[in-house]
Amino acid sequence: MTVIISDESKEKWGSALEKELLQSGTQVVHFIANAINVEPCTSCGSCGGKTFGRCVIQDDMQTVLPKIVTCRALVLVSPAVFGGVSRHIKKVMDRMMPIADPRYRVSDGEMIKGMRNQKMLYHMIGFGDKLSEAERAAFISLHKENCIIMNVKGRAFILDSNSKTDAIKKIANEVSYE
Amino acid sequence: MNKSEILHMSNNKTDTMNNSNILLLCASPRRKGTSAMLLERIRSVANGGELLFLPQKGSLDEIAQAMQNAQTIVISGPCYINTYPARLIELLERASSMGGFSNQKLYGIINGGMPYIHTHRHGLTSLQLFAEQNSLSWQGGFVLGVGAMLDGQPLEKHIRRKKIAPAFDQFIQHIKKGTSVPDSLYEQAQVPPGKIVTYLFSKLLTVMVEKRIKNHGYNVNEPNWY
Repeated sequence: MTVIISDESKEKWGSALEKELLQSGTQVVHFIANAINVEPCTSCGSCGGKTFGRCVIQDDMQTVLPKIVTCRALVLVSPAVFGGVSRHIKKVMDRMMPIADPRYRVSDGEMIKGMRNQKMLYHMIGFGDKLSEAERAAFISLHKENCIIMNVKGRAFILDSNSKTDAIKKIANEVSYE
Repeated sequence: MNKSEILHMSNNKTDTMNNSNILLLCASPRRKGTSAMLLERIRSVANGGELLFLPQKGSLDEIAQAMQNAQTIVISGPCYINTYPARLIELLERASSMGGFSNQKLYGIINGGMPYIHTHRHGLTSLQLFAEQNSLSWQGGFVLGVGAMLDGQPLEKHIRRKKIAPAFDQFIQHIKKGTSVPDSLYEQAQVPPGKIVTYLFSKLLTVMVEKRIKNHGYNVNEPNWY
């Protein structure tokens, strides 16, 4: 099962990807980040102690987290905002701490953490109008850093507003798994 | 003092000193954490600056306006999932759509738990892109690793205090003078730990974390709640 979390306030690439994946027979759960109700993380620390593994804020993340923790692949789709993701997508990302592995391990000489869903594939699609080289590089580096600390594999893609639906077909192929 | 001045001074969200037109913006939901502590340090050394906390709910127009009114802006925040928290991104998006900036100097500070610069650096990259796209003048920033452990204690308690405290104080001097800061300032103060320290540190932290979880009555090896 693939979870898509997309910011569709400007363009609807998440829905386009969902359509392609469904056609290829993949099970998809799609959350539209700018439409669901997600509060910012308050850094209360409860998910690391008092209510280990569980967020105490009662909002739509209680529906999203169970899907992420059991999915085969997670795809975040966001306009590239200052070289990163939009506020809608970042709110969801910030609230993923309850399903991070709290322990530390060493990989490639560095300390990292990991996710409870250890085999999860993690992809990001960024899009925008005439993105500069610096913006693209920054977006890709954010995805790379996420993969390192979460100990997951995945790909980052950049879509131009000139991109045609062919591009999303290609991405659907790349993020599909056997 | 007239009534509006008295109200402004007694508002426990803001604290104006010396009118030096430096805006110190804390992007953390914690009032007494590391992000706030670093701004307090700047305020006492730079002998001024208005300290504001990013409200976690509601309109950000007031803060965006305060950014436009300042000559120098310093944003200090924690690193969540390799970059700044969502609420700060929201402020930057809002400020960007309001427009009206004219070359304000922007400095950024990001602090995170991991002892690696690369883990947290994206926050500063974002601020630089925001500045470039909105006619602010990016002056550089400071990445602080192993900052979460401090949890608001002064820099003199940092695990790398001998190098970090002087380096951060040099950073403050740049803010006072309005000069740009090279990345090397914070890079040279935080060389990544070697293999043995890395291994020991990871074991120690894991033991501490497992103990904390056990003390709350949970078993980290059990399936996740969700």
